[in-house]
Amino acid sequence: MNDVTNSKLKKLKQYAFDKDSTLKFIEFLMQKTEVIAPQNKGQASYSYEIVKDAKDVVLDYPRTIQPLKKFFLPPVEDLLAFDLNANTYQEEKIEAKDKIFFGIHNYELEGIKRLDYSFKKGNPESNYLTRREKSMFIGISYEPDSYHFSESVGIPADKIDGFCLFFDKISNKSDYMVFVVDENGQKLIDSFGKVNEVKSKAEITAKKFQNKVKLHYNRIPQVFDHVYKSKVWDKVAERCVGCGTCNLLCATCYCFDVRDEIEINAKDGKRTRFWDGCMLNTFAEVAGGENFREKLNQRTRHRLYRKFKYITDHSGELHCIGCGRCSKYCPADISIVEIINSLIDDYTTQQKKN
Amino acid sequence: METLNVEKKNLYNPVISEILKVESLTATEKRFEIALPKSAMLNHKPGQFVEVSIFGFGEAPISICSSPTRTPTFELTVRKTGRLTDKMHELKAGNALGIRGPFGNGFDIEKFKGKDILYVAGGIGLAPLKSLIDYTIDKRNDFKRIIILYGTKNPAEILFPKEIEEWKKRSDIEFYITVDRPDDKWKGNVGVITTLIPPLELDVENTIVSVVGPPIMYKFVIMSLKGKRIPDENIYLSLERRMKCGVGKCGHCQINGSYVCQEGPVYHYPRCKELEEAI
Repeated sequence: MNDVTNSKLKKLKQYAFDKDSTLKFIEFLMQKTEVIAPQNKGQASYSYEIVKDAKDVVLDYPRTIQPLKKFFLPPVEDLLAFDLNANTYQEEKIEAKDKIFFGIHNYELEGIKRLDYSFKKGNPESNYLTRREKSMFIGISYEPDSYHFSESVGIPADKIDGFCLFFDKISNKSDYMVFVVDENGQKLIDSFGKVNEVKSKAEITAKKFQNKVKLHYNRIPQVFDHVYKSKVWDKVAERCVGCGTCNLLCATCYCFDVRDEIEINAKDGKRTRFWDGCMLNTFAEVAGGENFREKLNQRTRHRLYRKFKYITDHSGELHCIGCGRCSKYCPADISIVEIINSLIDDYTTQQKKN
Repeated sequence: METLNVEKKNLYNPVISEILKVESLTATEKRFEIALPKSAMLNHKPGQFVEVSIFGFGEAPISICSSPTRTPTFELTVRKTGRLTDKMHELKAGNALGIRGPFGNGFDIEKFKGKDILYVAGGIGLAPLKSLIDYTIDKRNDFKRIIILYGTKNPAEILFPKEIEEWKKRSDIEFYITVDRPDDKWKGNVGVITTLIPPLELDVENTIVSVVGPPIMYKFVIMSLKGKRIPDENIYLSLERRMKCGVGKCGHCQINGSYVCQEGPVYHYPRCKELEEAI
């Protein structure tokens, strides 16, 4: 994991932004390209949307309901358009489009990096990777709520590599210290031109996380080596309803299914892919009716192993970003941190016995 | 941020291919001979599969039942058991199909050379195995004994009757068949496939076993093979899962951390032991 450490942060150029210059900066970005940023969606809920008016952008928000993945892996996407009579098809053309994501929390960008890994590995997939091209990310700091636990999965408040700029809130009046993380960020600042460089070098404000995993993140995969048969999975399954919300809201889940749809003219149709989730009952079912993960305890275990073990064994990264969405939106109030901590307890007890 | 600069591909475009021949094997199984456009070769290995698609009906993984030694066309044996395969059974010679693949690893044939080869096929498991059986028959001198064990529920479900007659006639192939539920005309063995294993006389250290059948079968066959003292390293299994995309992305076929469409469907038995969900 290659962090931009605080010693490196001190070498980054820094600029002071107040509320007004931030607003003007968003407007400046909107003149250049499409800007996507968090906006209000109903009451106390937030969503990443294309910005139509810079004033709609919300800079203080705990998290959006959906992670950023919807822009690169749409919930439903056409793969092919076919002609049933002629047995011919046209592949959907996906164009890479310049876009700037503004006001993004650092764990969210880590989620995108995990998805990049998954879509690049083995057979690099053009659908995802083409949409993903020409994207720039401008980060913003956040106050962890009782669901965030990013620090526990190796994403502390000062992890900002991958952004071009990072806005660190330094007062309650919406004043920001803006860190220039790469040359693209510097170009944006230079062409914006309305802000002054700050010579005294600040650090990114440290944050306190209430929600914590009780073991260092480097050791979590090791715990997963020993808890496959833990009773914790059964306990979670007693409460889980198998709705798949955790899959849909997860920043690093990307499993999908594909189906064909025919138009009313019975001639034209489309092959579309749509998000699927390993928590859903039929996910591992084959045509003959055999279901290879029929029980909820098996499915919960599979989901967690995909976050902390299976992909991690290849990528070297945890594929959970600590955003807390799966826990906040779980209808059965299941907390992923409680699951991990229970597994750690199980593991610790085993180690003591041996 | 790590570069996105990789050679990316559209992974989901099928190649429109032509059905050359359809043959009814049982009440629920048909064999299709398929040609890629411009006589292109599929270039598959025994044990691999393709994604078959019919527009409007979707896509499904089907294992290839013909040997690459018998190209340029290839064959699929398909059980009528879902939306796509129901539709497939309505198709005739001259109709079109979409093909993606071949996918998966296939059998590690190099490890089979110079060895006695034991095949254990249950039900429709004979279809994927036939690709390898034909391969070893076509290159007969590369292998020592060839022993085929085949079990079905009843005589009406027996696949490839013509081939089976050939196998029975040949002195260099040992073929044994059993059915669980005989009909009035059946004169052969009765019982599950594992009843064929104990009577075999095998040079166990030099026998490579390939097992393909319904999920329930594997544990019992493994137990019987262990009873014969066949080393674990000599056993290969082909596992069925829902290989929806074939390219290691969609997640449906995963056995623990292993994508069956990438690492499988053929697994070395020692590897299966590491995968709790495998059998």
